[in-house]
Amino acid sequence: MNKQPGVRGMGADRKLIVLAGAGLVGIVVSWIVSGGERFWANWILWFLFLLTIGLGSLFIVALEHVVGARWSIPLRRVPERLSSLVLIVAPIALLALLSLDSLYSWTSPEALANPIIAGKRPWLNVPFFIARVIACLLLWGLAWWILVRGSIKQDKTRDARFNLRARRFAPLFMIIFGITITIVAFDWISSMEPEWYSDIFGVYIFAGTFLAGLAATTLALLYLQSRGRLKDITRDHMYNLGGFLFAFTVFWSYIGFAQYMLMWYANIPEEVFWYQERIEGAWGPILLGLAVFHFLVPFFLLIPRDAKRDPRFLFWTAAIMLFSHWLDLYWMIFPVLDLGPLFGLPEISFSILFVSAALLWIRFSMTRGADMPAGDPLLSEGLEFRL
Amino acid sequence: MSDRKIFSVVGIFDSAQHLMNAIPDIRKRVNAPLEAYTPYPVEGLDKLLGHRKSPVGGMVLVMGIIGALSALGFELWTSGRDYPQVTAGKPLFSWEAFVPIMFEVTVLFAAFTAGLGMLLLLNRLPMFRHPMLRSSSLPLVTRDRFALAVEARGAEIDVEKITRLLQEFGAKSVEVVEEPAPAGVASPKFFLRTLTAIGIVCILAGFITYWTMKLFPIVKPMVHMLDQPRLNPQSPSRYFSDGSGMRMPVSGTVARGSVPYTIRNQELAGDLVNPLYRTETVLRQGRQAYMNNCSVCHGVLGDGKTSLTKAYGAKPANLVSQSIAGLPDGKLYHVIVAGKNAMASYSAELGEDERWATVHYLRVLQRAANARDEDIPK
Repeated sequence: MNKQPGVRGMGADRKLIVLAGAGLVGIVVSWIVSGGERFWANWILWFLFLLTIGLGSLFIVALEHVVGARWSIPLRRVPERLSSLVLIVAPIALLALLSLDSLYSWTSPEALANPIIAGKRPWLNVPFFIARVIACLLLWGLAWWILVRGSIKQDKTRDARFNLRARRFAPLFMIIFGITITIVAFDWISSMEPEWYSDIFGVYIFAGTFLAGLAATTLALLYLQSRGRLKDITRDHMYNLGGFLFAFTVFWSYIGFAQYMLMWYANIPEEVFWYQERIEGAWGPILLGLAVFHFLVPFFLLIPRDAKRDPRFLFWTAAIMLFSHWLDLYWMIFPVLDLGPLFGLPEISFSILFVSAALLWIRFSMTRGADMPAGDPLLSEGLEFRL
Repeated sequence: MSDRKIFSVVGIFDSAQHLMNAIPDIRKRVNAPLEAYTPYPVEGLDKLLGHRKSPVGGMVLVMGIIGALSALGFELWTSGRDYPQVTAGKPLFSWEAFVPIMFEVTVLFAAFTAGLGMLLLLNRLPMFRHPMLRSSSLPLVTRDRFALAVEARGAEIDVEKITRLLQEFGAKSVEVVEEPAPAGVASPKFFLRTLTAIGIVCILAGFITYWTMKLFPIVKPMVHMLDQPRLNPQSPSRYFSDGSGMRMPVSGTVARGSVPYTIRNQELAGDLVNPLYRTETVLRQGRQAYMNNCSVCHGVLGDGKTSLTKAYGAKPANLVSQSIAGLPDGKLYHVIVAGKNAMASYSAELGEDERWATVHYLRVLQRAANARDEDIPK
């Protein structure tokens, strides 16, 4: 914890930069070859994937401050560093505004002929949309500044007043988080099909977001441990993370099924069409895969007590869950293109670019602060946590 | 020392470390179950004591799966097989509608298994007071001491040897805890007997209520379907401007599939020909219609002798008599449609085919009532 072995191995950084460059060339080529719509669908998919990981991690940090958890203090630096993704998504989100014309049909004047879309006009109009995007980015930046930057500063200052400030701000962030995650769900995903209605959609995205943050935190923690860092974190800490993963797998499935079942039962055209588009043809197997890999597999894998304590086992379970979260976003966004499930050059180059860029950014964020919140007065209590 | 059975031999240790140090040595030398009592949870104690993993988790998993499958089976059977009814145009097997109930039953089974398994299996519920509760060691444990108990669990144990061992490995004092004296009134047996008695009383009360209501129908059970707001036939209603609850058919229209019956006279109906062949399916359909509509008055055999005859003094026709057996099909059909004497028209209850099938079945009854020798199967 005190030692910092090779935080910035330049070799790894250089490899990531080369990969990102290759990805960048790939996405430019894919713009020319497959056109703008597919480009922007990929862009939004990866924007939301990184955003949900960052925001979910920030939520984990805030949750610890809200409930006054002690066990998670030693591993708090992991979600704190992952939450720096909410900063890097700002330029990505602003660039994504360029996709409004091609992916969001409510922006066109003809859409107003549809009475449903006309009725949603007070919310769905371009100036207000942009204002919401910027407001959300600012709020997340502010929350990051207070919760994460304050925590990193505390490493040196050892000032316990940070804990009080975080404890006061975190409940407020819970409200901000609830509203902004709903705005993200409604604006970026559900408004791609502007006729669609679903009240529970924000909760569904929240479930996926928290799960993405948890899975990424688990993966990063176990990776760092395999590299000989964070050695003081025990299997009891892992057990708690595994328990969280298990609980929110069930929560995601519960919300997802609740949304599906109500729409299936009522069978109202302006609701069911969304599911019809996402079940027909090759989307059916993908939805089935979502049910299997986002629910059944992690659910049964995480039932045994020992599964939540075994680092290798937990690592692969978390990897499956993070992939399923990506698949979930893919399944929601790509049917808008009306081309069936696509996976080709654009998707591969976007994956390479965004994964390597995100890893670079996280490695960069790891240059500041210790591996554990060394200045937190309750750290030793967290280290002593045993089940 | 009394002659009561020994429950355990308890050694008192000064610290958790002393206790932990002693356990492996004592386990090596004594072949009896060990139990520790500490003022706070001591990490790693379970492993040292050699306690196996609790079986409740596995039981909960199995019972949860059984719960899910039994809910699914029950739903498949009720809505797909026993009483198949299409709801809202959905298929009979709609797994979406089954999931919430499967979920609830899974949770119910799992939660009951966890609760009861913990209480009965691990905490041995009918036992109210653990023998340790009466020992003089427990008050020490609730303060700052640590106790290690070598339990007898019904078997014989060598008290002196264990006492020596406990003292050898650091116990400051040793106490022999005895099984409690046979309990008085509030014994586990009494508890179980009371539960059984309550169960029997409940079952008896159920039977008594059922038969009281059946034999002395003073209180009507479950009459919600009868009590609902509705219009009975012929009853008035202020809802319609003509004050009648029943509606006339729209003038100039004919219900789909119905052929208007225009013959007014039974004599004229004699010329009608039964359009149905006497197949087995038709006869079955005729028997069904007869049993449901006619047999109440005319009797299962068609001889007009039923309990209604006595109760109301009515005289339904004997359908197997020579005079009726001699009537042509058309005249019997006419009676079903138009009614006769006290008998009302059955045109609303029976469709065209059912009426003719009933006529065919009447011929079966008549033949059966006047069977010839060759009709008897050999």
